[in-house]
Amino acid sequence: MEGGGILAGLATNPEAYLLFSLLLFSFGIIATLARKNAIGIFMGVELMLNAAALNFVTFQVLRRGVVANETWLHGHIFSLFVIILAAIEAAVALAIVLRTFGSRQSIDPDRATELRG
Amino acid sequence: MDLISLALLIVILPLSSYFILNIVGNKLPRQGDWLSTGAIFGSFICAVIIFANMFSAYDPNWLIEKTWTWIDLSSVNIPWKLDLGVRLDNLSATMLLMVTLCATLIHLFSTGYMRDHDGKPEDGYRYTSFFSYLSLFTSAMLGLVISGNLFSLFMCWEVMGLCSYLLIGFYRHKPSAANASLKAFMTTRVGDLGLFVGLLAIWNYVGSFAFTDIYAAINNGTLDASLFGTSAAFVIGLGIFIGTVGKSAQFPLQIWLPDAMEGPTPVSALIHAATMVSAGIYLIIRVFPILEYGHVLTIVAYVGGFTSFFAAIIAIKQNDIKKVLAYSTLSQLGYMVLVLGVGSYTTSFFHLITHAVFKACLFMSSGAVIYAMHHEQDMRHMGGLKKKLPITFAAMLITTMAISGVPGFSGFASKDRILAYVYGFVHHHPQHMLLAFFAFATAGLTAFYMFRLIFMTFWNEPHDKHHYDHAHEVSWNMWLPLVVLAGLSFCVIYTGSITGFGFDKIFGAANEWIITLNPAPLVNGTEAAREAMEEAAHHAHYPAMILSILLAGSGILFSYLVYGSRKISAEKISGMVPNFVHRWIDNLYYFDFFYIKIVIQKIFLPFSSKNASFDNTVIDRGLVDGWKDIAKVSYFAVDLVDNEVVDKGMVDGFGGKLPYALGSSLRALQNGKIQRYLTVAVVALMLLFIFRGVL
Repeated sequence: MEGGGILAGLATNPEAYLLFSLLLFSFGIIATLARKNAIGIFMGVELMLNAAALNFVTFQVLRRGVVANETWLHGHIFSLFVIILAAIEAAVALAIVLRTFGSRQSIDPDRATELRG
Repeated sequence: MDLISLALLIVILPLSSYFILNIVGNKLPRQGDWLSTGAIFGSFICAVIIFANMFSAYDPNWLIEKTWTWIDLSSVNIPWKLDLGVRLDNLSATMLLMVTLCATLIHLFSTGYMRDHDGKPEDGYRYTSFFSYLSLFTSAMLGLVISGNLFSLFMCWEVMGLCSYLLIGFYRHKPSAANASLKAFMTTRVGDLGLFVGLLAIWNYVGSFAFTDIYAAINNGTLDASLFGTSAAFVIGLGIFIGTVGKSAQFPLQIWLPDAMEGPTPVSALIHAATMVSAGIYLIIRVFPILEYGHVLTIVAYVGGFTSFFAAIIAIKQNDIKKVLAYSTLSQLGYMVLVLGVGSYTTSFFHLITHAVFKACLFMSSGAVIYAMHHEQDMRHMGGLKKKLPITFAAMLITTMAISGVPGFSGFASKDRILAYVYGFVHHHPQHMLLAFFAFATAGLTAFYMFRLIFMTFWNEPHDKHHYDHAHEVSWNMWLPLVVLAGLSFCVIYTGSITGFGFDKIFGAANEWIITLNPAPLVNGTEAAREAMEEAAHHAHYPAMILSILLAGSGILFSYLVYGSRKISAEKISGMVPNFVHRWIDNLYYFDFFYIKIVIQKIFLPFSSKNASFDNTVIDRGLVDGWKDIAKVSYFAVDLVDNEVVDKGMVDGFGGKLPYALGSSLRALQNGKIQRYLTVAVVALMLLFIFRGVL
């Protein structure tokens, strides 16, 4: 699996990937916590999921340098699961957003305060 | 069916009749009098079977006993066991036959007596209660007879006390009847106290109430223990005898019996002939070994002698037909007690049976006379009734001859034995001469006053024309009992001939089956005394018999001269007696005066009022009201604690304020803003990571 593709530099420079992942995750959190739009919040969630998926892949690749004759693909497979999960989540989330908008003509999460104590 | 079940059936039949009559009596045809009568007749049949079994065995030691455990605390390690039992021996079998027979006839008599002359009961509701009381009374008496121990005997004894109260006070609209019932109840209660003390002492020393155990305890000396400075046997015997004194109306508790004549006449026949007063005699016959062993017999003899003599004297002066019979009952009961006191247990029992039969007949005959005379009881208004009431007259004459001791009648056989034993006793103990005087004088007096009753009632010309014209013979259900009982007042029934020992015994007192079959239970050290007594009685037999015939004869003759042919003026004789004696007798020897004016008003009432004031001030004001105050104070304290600490502090605090404060401070977190939650979660996660790194 040496060379080529988007992961070509990963083995030699993994910090860049991890930093990117960190940035991605931080943007995701900020978006999730700060956006006043439900769709924006879900986009933030998507960012975080992708950041996590990127981390999986990164560490799977890094593992090759440590373990001889590495044959595991756990990290890749897990990032595939994350993508599937993200797709499902997006579908469900969009459905929720639609229903929410249908019932209250707004998708501002701060306006949905029925469960306030 | 075995005899024990039969004996129980004898008790259960009248008892169930009592319950049925109380529940549905009014709805039954004839208000259910037939049920009560039929039940007691069923008991009579059972008693006949038991008696036939006993008689065919003809064995003085015939005994069937069965006990059931009633209360047994040994399973919880308390040695406390109470048995109930049935004891059938010759005594109880004979007694059962007598009681059921008399009771059946009295029930039958009541079906006539308790209705008016058109055959309608005077008051339907009361009519039923009358029969239900009769049933309960009879069942209690029968229960007493079959009791194998003093405990169940005592229970039946008390039930009888209650029933006597109910029956004597049956005409409750009459104040005199209400008072008489109360008097009977209270007076017998005094005696019951003595009996109760006796029972407690027996329980203490013997640990069982069964007669068998008591007899055994006497033989092995358990009752020799010292108690109140004398022997336990003496205390027990005296206590039980006091019970008898109350129940059998002996001196000095005799006052209730004459007053008890306020009850309906069948009740008088039942209480004063067959059942209640006999129960007292039956009790001392049962515990005779204790009396004998504890040397109570001399007291018993004197009490009986006193009663028999002084009651006979009062009877002479009575004009109420039932009062004469009442005092005659006292006198005859005194005879039974007297002869028991001189040591002849069997003679006492013999007289108990013969007396029950002829006295029941006498009472019912007087009831028939009273009924025929439209409830006129004063003999001075009667007279000449022998043509109007031939059957009643014949029955009453026969039984009067029996009670007077005319040869050939049952009273002669038993009274002759009584006199013989008393004579023999006095012969050996001249210091007790008074007893013989009482016994023989009573024999003469009895003949005199009983024939006075006959002459005043049935002889000569009527004193009250109106009543006389309306009088007529009573209906069959009233005269049949009289005829049966009069038939049983002949000597032959009780003497040898019925058992096939020949005609020559008809006029003799020997070989009576009652005597043969009922020897007193032997206890240690009394055999010699018994033999001496029998020997003395045997020697005294002929002098006593001749003397008693002479006395009875002269009594009857004198009575005829005064009241029959009126050759001698009654007023003249009574004028010969000093006035204070008249007053003394008319006031019944001042017994009632003494009890009511002195004992009750001077002693009991002040004592009771002292007690009452003590109760009012110390107990009520002090203790009871004091408790109220204590309760009040403690209530306030408890109330305060409850309100302030428990309610306000604990309940309101832990249940209200604390959760409220927690909730209102924590609810701010639950603001419904999802991003805030998420922020908190993220921050918390970050903190966790940070501290995880630090730690």
